[in-house]
Formats: sequence, C-alpha cells, structure tokens
Amino acid sequence: MKRLLLSIALALPLVAQQVAPPPPAAPREVKLPQPAEKTLANGLRVIVVPKHDIPLVAARLLVKTGAAADPADRDGLAELTATVLTQGTKTKSAEQIARGVEALGATLSADAGWDFTSIDLSVMSSNLSSAMTYVADVARNATFAKTEFERERAQAIDALQVELTEPRPLAGVVMSRLIFGDAPYGHNLTGLPASLAKITREDLVKFHAAHYRPDNAVLVLAGDIKADDAFALAQSAFGGWKSSSRRGAESTSSSKTRRLDDLKPRVVVIDMPESGQSAVVVGRAGIRRADAAYMNAMVANSVLGAGYSSRLNQEIRIKRGLSYGAGSSFEPRVDVGPFTARTETKHESAAEVAGLLVGELNRLSQSDVPEAELTPRKAALIGGFAQSLETTSGIVNRVSSLALYGLPLSDINRYISGVQAVTADDVRKFAASNLGGKDVNVVVIGDAKQFAEPLRAQFGEVEVIAAEELDLASPTLRVRKAKN
Amino acid sequence: MRLARTLFLLLIASAASAATTTIPPIAFKYRVLPNGLEVYSVQDRSTPTVAIHVWYRVGSKHDPQGRSGFAHLFEHIMFKSTKNMPAEMMDRLTEDVGGFNNATTFDDSTAYYEVVPSNYLETLLWAEAERLGSLTVDDANFKSERDVVKEEFRFRILAPPYGKLFYAIDKNSFVAHPYKRPGIGSIEELDAATIDDVKAFHATFYRPDNAILLVAGDFEQQQLDGWVDKYFTPIAKPSTEIPNVNVEEPARKEEKRVDEYSANVPLPALAMTWLTPSARHEDAVPLFIASTVLADGESSRLQEKLVRGEIAQEVFSDANLREDLGLFAVVAIMGSEKKPADAEKLIRAELASMAEKPVSAAELEKAKNLILTSALRERETSNGKAFSLGEALILQHDAAFVNAGLAKVQAVTAADVQRVVKKYLIEGKPLVINYLDESAKGGAQ
Repeated sequence: MKRLLLSIALALPLVAQQVAPPPPAAPREVKLPQPAEKTLANGLRVIVVPKHDIPLVAARLLVKTGAAADPADRDGLAELTATVLTQGTKTKSAEQIARGVEALGATLSADAGWDFTSIDLSVMSSNLSSAMTYVADVARNATFAKTEFERERAQAIDALQVELTEPRPLAGVVMSRLIFGDAPYGHNLTGLPASLAKITREDLVKFHAAHYRPDNAVLVLAGDIKADDAFALAQSAFGGWKSSSRRGAESTSSSKTRRLDDLKPRVVVIDMPESGQSAVVVGRAGIRRADAAYMNAMVANSVLGAGYSSRLNQEIRIKRGLSYGAGSSFEPRVDVGPFTARTETKHESAAEVAGLLVGELNRLSQSDVPEAELTPRKAALIGGFAQSLETTSGIVNRVSSLALYGLPLSDINRYISGVQAVTADDVRKFAASNLGGKDVNVVVIGDAKQFAEPLRAQFGEVEVIAAEELDLASPTLRVRKAKN
Repeated sequence: MRLARTLFLLLIASAASAATTTIPPIAFKYRVLPNGLEVYSVQDRSTPTVAIHVWYRVGSKHDPQGRSGFAHLFEHIMFKSTKNMPAEMMDRLTEDVGGFNNATTFDDSTAYYEVVPSNYLETLLWAEAERLGSLTVDDANFKSERDVVKEEFRFRILAPPYGKLFYAIDKNSFVAHPYKRPGIGSIEELDAATIDDVKAFHATFYRPDNAILLVAGDFEQQQLDGWVDKYFTPIAKPSTEIPNVNVEEPARKEEKRVDEYSANVPLPALAMTWLTPSARHEDAVPLFIASTVLADGESSRLQEKLVRGEIAQEVFSDANLREDLGLFAVVAIMGSEKKPADAEKLIRAELASMAEKPVSAAELEKAKNLILTSALRERETSNGKAFSLGEALILQHDAAFVNAGLAKVQAVTAADVQRVVKKYLIEGKPLVINYLDESAKGGAQ
C-alpha cells in the first residue's frame, strides 16, 4: 500500500504568561486507499477499494445523470424516479424488496443529486452478494407501478409542504433561483408540489430507460472484499445488463446555454412573521468541479466558512453570539455550481449577520490571509479528507465523486499536496474573482418588519415578498398579479 | 435529547448495545487513578489518528433548580478559558492540526471528545486535564456563549415545524423525575444563569472521581499510561459528596392526553410515550428490539402500516433507554388529510398484535441483523468505539457491555419481545400528544 506523509505544520498559538501545552510528536503517515478498477463488456465501470478491518461493505451504483436533466416543466423527476426505483421490479414487490434487504441487515436507498443518481448499499460483508442482487434488480428491472408511483408522489408533495415552511431549507431553494434563474440548477432538486403533480408514471419509465444504463454508470465498492471477488460479483450481478438503444441526452446541463452572467444580483426577503428564527443566505455562481481552481476554492472556503474556526463562525458565533453556527460551501458540479454562505439568527439580528456574511466575502478578496491563519485552515481541510477515508461510506463518496466528474482516481493521492500548494496569493486572487464584489445575492427569511429597514440601509433595493405571494417556480419568485 | 456544541456533530447511531460473534470485540484496557478517574483505552493503529473522550457523570437531569438547560450551557462554557488555555484553544489544538472536537450533553452525562492526528495525543491529554482542573471563564465570554445557546434553542425548537413537539415530549412524559425538564432549557431560565452558577457547577461535578477518560486509536500503551499519570494524577479529588438524582418517577395510573399547538405546522403529528425501566433492567434489550421491529426500516410494522398505508408521512420509534428509567416513544407525522387519531388507532392495534402473538423468527432475525450492522458502522472509527464504551459505562455501569450486549441481543426470544410489549406498552399507560397547527385551536381535530 502506498503511503504519503501527512505533514501538518505546528500551529500552536503562543501563550506567554501561561504554561504551554506539550508539543506534538513526529507525525505518522496517512494510508491512502488504493482503488482497483475494471470495465465490464457492457461499459459498466467497476471500482473497488479493499479495507478489511471491519466486516462491512459500502457499495454505490452511480448513474451519471441527475436533477440537472429534469425536463423544464417536470422539476423533481430525477429524484422521484430514484424514490420509486426501489418500489418494485419485474419479479419482486416493494414489500419483498424491503423485507429481503432488511433481513440481511442491509440498508438500500436511492437518491438523486444534481449530476447523478446513486443507489447506496451498506451491508455486512458476509451478506454482500445476496444484497447486491437487490441493487442490480432495482437498477435494471424497476417497474414503476402506478400505485407505488402515486403513493410516493403524494408523500413527496407532503414532504415539500413541511420543508418549505421552515426558513432554512426554503432559503436554499430561493437562493438557487436567484443564482441560476430558469437554468437547470435553478429549480428545487425535489421539485415543487405543482411540478410533481404534472409528472406521470410514463415520465419515470422514460427517464429510467434513457439514463439508467451500464455505459452511463459506475459501481463503487469499499470495505471487506477482495478486488477480484468484487469484479466477479459485479459481473454476475450486472454483466447481463444491456444499454437500451435510445441514448439519453449527454451531459444535459452543460449542453444548455447558461447565461448566469445576465442575472442581476438581488436582495430578497420572504416575510414569514411567525417563524421562530430568521435564515440568512448569501450566494453567487461558483465553479465547475473540473475547474483548475478547484483546490483554491476549497482552501478559500476553509478559511471563510468550513469548520468551527472559519471566519464566518468566528465573526458571527464566537465573537458576537449571534448564531448557533455560520458556514459556507462551494458545490462544484459538472457545470458551474453555487457558492453559498449561511446562518440563522433571531429576527432582529438578521440584517447585521447579512452584512457580516457579505463583509467576510469582501475581506477575503481584498487582503491576503496571514500564514498563521492559512496553515491551520489547510490542516483542517487535510484532516477532514483523511477522516473521510476512515469509513467505507466515506471512501465510496470520495471515489465516486472522482469517477462522476471524470477525474483520475489517482487524484486521491494528490489531494494533500494539492491543498498544501495553495498560497495566500492564490486565495486572494480566487476570492477577488469568485467571491467579492457586487454580484452577490442575499436571501433573508423571517419576520420582515424586524429587519427589512436596516437591510435596505445596507443593500439599497430590497424585494419583500409575502410567503403567500411566493412562487418558487418562477425566476421572479412572485405569483403573477402579485401586488408589490 | 442530544445537544451538541456545534452543528458539525458526528452523529452516532443510538444503539442500546450490540455486538455479535462476527463483530470484532472492542478490546479495552482499564485502570483507575488514585483520585478516582477511570481510564479506558482501546488500541487500533490502522490509521494515525486517536480519539480522546472525557465523559462526566453529569447531564441535563442535574440542572440546578430554576436553571433548566444549565448542564448544556455549561458544556459550551467548557470551551472557554482555563488557567493555561485562552478561550477556544481547544480548537487550536484540534481543528487547526487536522482534527476536530465536539461535546454532547445527554440526560445522564456529558461527553467531550476530540479526534486528532495521533502525534497530538499528549497535547490533548494535557488540555483535557486542564479543563477538568480549572475553568476561568470571564463574564463577557459567558454572556456571549449564552446568546449562542439561545440561538441554538431557536434553531432546534422554534424554527423547525416539529421542534415544539419534541420539546413537549419529555415535559409531559415525566411528572417527578428531572428528565421532565427539557435539556435545552428555556430562554428565561438560560437568562437567569450567572457566572457564579458556572463556578459552582464545575466545583460540584467536574472532578476526577466523576469522570471517565477514554482513549481509542493509535497510541503506545506505556506512553499513554505515563501521560495519563503525568497530567491527571495531580488533580485532587474533592472531599465533598457528589449530588445524586434519587427521584422515583411514579408509575402512570392512567392515560394522559395533551394537545400542543404551534404556528406553521403543515401536517399534524402524534407522539405516544410509555415509561420503561432503566437501561440496566433485563427488559431493556428486548424493548430495544421491539422498537426495531416496530419502526426500523421500510419493512418494519409501522412503516408498512402507516407510511406505505398512506396514513403518515413519517413514523419512528425510539426505545430511549436512560440511566434511571427509559421512555419508549412512537412519533408519527401525518399524511395530508389524515388525523393523529388515525395513526394512534393503528399504532395501538400493532402493539396489541405484538402482545398477543410472538413476532416470527424471520422478523426477529431481521431486527437483530439491523442492530448488528448498525453496531458495525459505529465501530468503523476509533471515535465510534469510544462512544460505544462511553454509552455502556453511563447507561449500563459496565464497559464490558460493549461486547456482552451482543450476546444479550442474540439471546432475546420472540417470547421476550411479546412479554415486554405487553408489560410496558399495553399494560403501561401512554401519554398521547396531538400536535396541531394554531389554526386548529378550539376546533375539532
């Protein structure tokens, strides 16, 4: 097994008048997983990462199409397809699948992301081959029975009703509209009650036939299994899977013209006077996963808003006690994904924290991060990477992300050095062109009368939309004929 | 309720126990220092990281009178200054070097933990000894952190549509035992807390003979023992008594029904609870299995009847085993157009059927396999192993339960499950909470 040195610089503060903590010893090396891979004759790529300390295996069948491919008036189709996928096949009812999987102590779930759909399995290694037959069966032979479809759709609509009454999740959905307008990433991933109502069973069947195919999929396994045994298992479960002749649209999202630059940044308030806390989000278009500046983005975000000691949490929680937590993230995707920074606070502090969020984006783009701050933020990023590789599901996540975005699996060996190579200059330049400036959108959801005026004082034009006038399907966010 | 210092909480599956022949046992070493500190260690050198936990036998049930939420507030304060550490130095020693830290306040205990590259083990042992030995928080830090906890209250209870339902469960389920006070507290009682309360709480409960040190992961045993001696042995054991919670919760004589209302409740919900014995009682493991049979997994009884049956949007069950007594709870969020009474009827029918007829061998086996696999997932990391040990120590008063609990799960029979369902969930009296939108007030629901 190849080993790399995890060299984390010493970053202890000086505490002059006090007893200093004992210093660290020499670091030990981090073991990085070594994936093995093979492509089956039908085009299915199989990747295995053996790890034998616990008799457990995590597996994911990754279909390289997700919610970005939802047709214009069918928001939520990819997710609904994934949800109904496990609810019956040509030979097994939904109940038989659930009982069979759970009798093995396994968990099986299917979910859509923006660029992918994943069918995930976690199972003790002695039951892997039995459990894998269920993964293959639902991927290949799902029938999308009408009763199952209608029940899942009704429950998805109910779930949306719950989700969209809470400021925090609602703020994320509103922000996607502001950043992406009516482009593919602009809608809610799980759709809206009205779009789900339009979706038919036939839409699911078509989506499944077009995208769930071996030449558009990757099988990733990590855990207590040998590579050769995993390849043999993949062959027996998926070897007979044929791609249907009709090819799904290739890379749906990037094939559509995206004019994000034409969208004017907005400051939007959704008035929910009875909510218990305000949600505040600022956001803008971020980067593609394949962007050469990916590592710069990760380091910049580690300084800004990933982890307890990042700047946003320092300023908003630690220094001012204004929130339980504040943070930010890039979601790099096939196409340009969002950057968002978020927090929650009592209504009367909402305008103040919006100003703090935007202020930190600007500070990062205007002045260099001191080395004494940059080094620990890089160490935090590297540590998070190393921790994610300690579990089977964490390894599956890392490896399938590389596979999805067409990156070499050997990138896993370059992550640590990639982080370490980023300089303060890289971070400032990246932030200047990707974070700071006037292109940022702001969403605040809560009791508007407590923060709308101070928000206007800071940002100028502020659109206040009453909750009952909100239309998430429209880039304007307003139901037609709404009063201003 | 588990309350954590931060959102970036590593959630651990709540297993009452578990282990089996196919689960590698957790091989731990034990020693106790002259000052009463118990020390457990589990070596695993497969990755160069180590988890350091300190569990204190003080939890929300020890909140002082008129200070509900105090144990949790105090947990936050433990990240502020000590004699030799400025505020947030714990973050400098963990996050800044590629690790993380967090803390969780339970009903019966408070756990502080760090995972760091193993070359920082000595540093963190020093730091944990430091905050066990002294806490020197100033008033500004105290007030600012109290504001954070008030935001946490809004975040957990006021903002989510079902936050107030969960807040209502403990409050209404117990009449005498301090478990009845919500661990998150209330804005008023948090505001009443002072820095003197902090000092008194530390002096009363944060002492070596009320603490457990757990170290799991990459270390050399002799070196670890030496560092533990060096940093923890000098901490004196106070001569004062450690206050104990000795309140008997009376058995419920009759059913109790409560209607709770909140703004923005999109779908009504139902919660039912029953009192059960301590986690150490022989019926605890069968109750845990009963809960798994009821609602763990899509093919569980209540998922099939309520969710697949389109009565509820979501249902879950929790054996919620605690040190003094347990609280078995079933919660359902209704489907649209459905009423809590619809779910209540089906839940009662399912419990009656489990009391009448033993679960099938296949159903019992399924529940055991689900529990086993979830225990395996917890044991993937050193941090997870330390959590299993800590939970066993607090709830079972016995670290060996991390391994022996397996045998107990495997040994449970269908008759055991039938017996405990009948005894506690049929013959025991439920509390029923209907959770409704404010607009339903005064109307018929």
